[in-house]
Amino acid sequence: MAEAIAITGVGQVSALGGDVPALATGLLEGRCGIGPLTLFAHRGRSAVAAQVGELPAVESGLPPAVARRLTRSDRLALVAATEACRMAGLDDAVRETMGLCVGATTAGMLGTEEAYRRWRAGEHRRIRYSGFAGMPLSTVGAALSQVLGLFGPRSTVSTACSSGALAIATAAGMVARGEAPIALAVGVDSLCRLTYAGFDALQALDAAPCRPFDANRRGLSLGEGAGAIVLERADRARARGATIRAILLGSGISADAHHVTAPHPEGAGALAALRDALDAAGLSPDAVDYVNAHGSGTKHNDETEVAVLRATFGTRLARVPVSSSKSQLGHCLAAAGTLEAVVTIMALSDGVVPATVTLRVPDPAWSDLDLVPTPGRRAPLGVAVSSSYGFGGHNVTLVLARPEGRA
Amino acid sequence: MDRSGVRIEVKELLVSGLRLTVQAGEIADEAPIFGHAPDGAGLGLDSIDALELVVLVEERFNVTIPDEDVGKRAFASVAALADFILEAKAA
Repeated sequence: MAEAIAITGVGQVSALGGDVPALATGLLEGRCGIGPLTLFAHRGRSAVAAQVGELPAVESGLPPAVARRLTRSDRLALVAATEACRMAGLDDAVRETMGLCVGATTAGMLGTEEAYRRWRAGEHRRIRYSGFAGMPLSTVGAALSQVLGLFGPRSTVSTACSSGALAIATAAGMVARGEAPIALAVGVDSLCRLTYAGFDALQALDAAPCRPFDANRRGLSLGEGAGAIVLERADRARARGATIRAILLGSGISADAHHVTAPHPEGAGALAALRDALDAAGLSPDAVDYVNAHGSGTKHNDETEVAVLRATFGTRLARVPVSSSKSQLGHCLAAAGTLEAVVTIMALSDGVVPATVTLRVPDPAWSDLDLVPTPGRRAPLGVAVSSSYGFGGHNVTLVLARPEGRA
Repeated sequence: MDRSGVRIEVKELLVSGLRLTVQAGEIADEAPIFGHAPDGAGLGLDSIDALELVVLVEERFNVTIPDEDVGKRAFASVAALADFILEAKAA
């Protein structure tokens, strides 16, 4: 078994609110954060999204030149990262040693679109540089490092909808290999026209809030936000007196080598990622108490995903709750994997099974499964898996556990 | 256009175009636009802001800032920028 990595801080901003307590309340109440899309004008099939309402103020102390140029993704990332670092009790000296891995797919695209729109509309005769400053995906990590004072190794990963989960696995790798004593994983994406119009053009968006695992599911609902997780070696966490919130027992990463959008029909890659993650954790499927599914709500994803779970858990699957946080948070793309890891960590530490809140009529093929229709319920959980699958066949599964082991 | 009118317009352009948090009226005529003077006066803008500001000024006032040397003189302060704009318009 690979060395387990301690999680000492989590942070989030999403349609359910601007911090972890707001998310905890939303999970317990079974709130759905999907509502009207108002961030920009869109004409198409769908008009709903899990939009972040009022963006929480970013911590002060930013140099004004930096603060003015932060993109919406930068701000989302900073809100989550600041909360995670505060929860982990990190002082300046620890942060200086901290590694960073950011998962992102569009970074400052929203600002780029706005600059382009204003130029096209004749509002600006010349296109503005500032609209493009946030376009490279690497700019989010640069902003986070500059604001938080992180001098450790830094990378950005972009594997479509599994980017946020891969950021966690990558940051954990930095710690496990000794490249940094402590690392921050952040997954972030703001809504933007590019992704919204793109998914709508693919007919992948449900006109109603998405209904994962439902017989009437019609596709996903896009969301936005950021999740952040602080990872460090357990012995070092204990030595500095930090509270360990959860343990990352293992991760599995695989590719489908199949299609630009469709998952492999038998879920070969997803199956391998789940198997590898459990192997890395040194656990058999029997140890798993809860599955936080990718659960995007598309016909193909949910079918493939349940097939993978049946192949892995066999008849025991009927007794393992499986739910999709996308029914509450929407599909936040690169933020999804990190946000869902945060949800899973909270499920473990609070002993709450998060619900698939929009599930009304479970697909009859899965009538034997526990898909956790609203509301969520209290139950002790020891070990949970969280899976993320990205277009192009990017699969990541994380195995997370309560610090004290099985419930 | 008179000198004080152009200065006010420049200040308003700085605030709105670069999304500064100061009020236009708080900006001193002689304070440096980029970086700070030894006494701490100045807006503290940087090289990225310079790229933006050149476009803003050229667009608003229909003037051309042909090279860095001219730019350095023109953007020394609000007063210098107003003078540059008036000279360019008069030429």
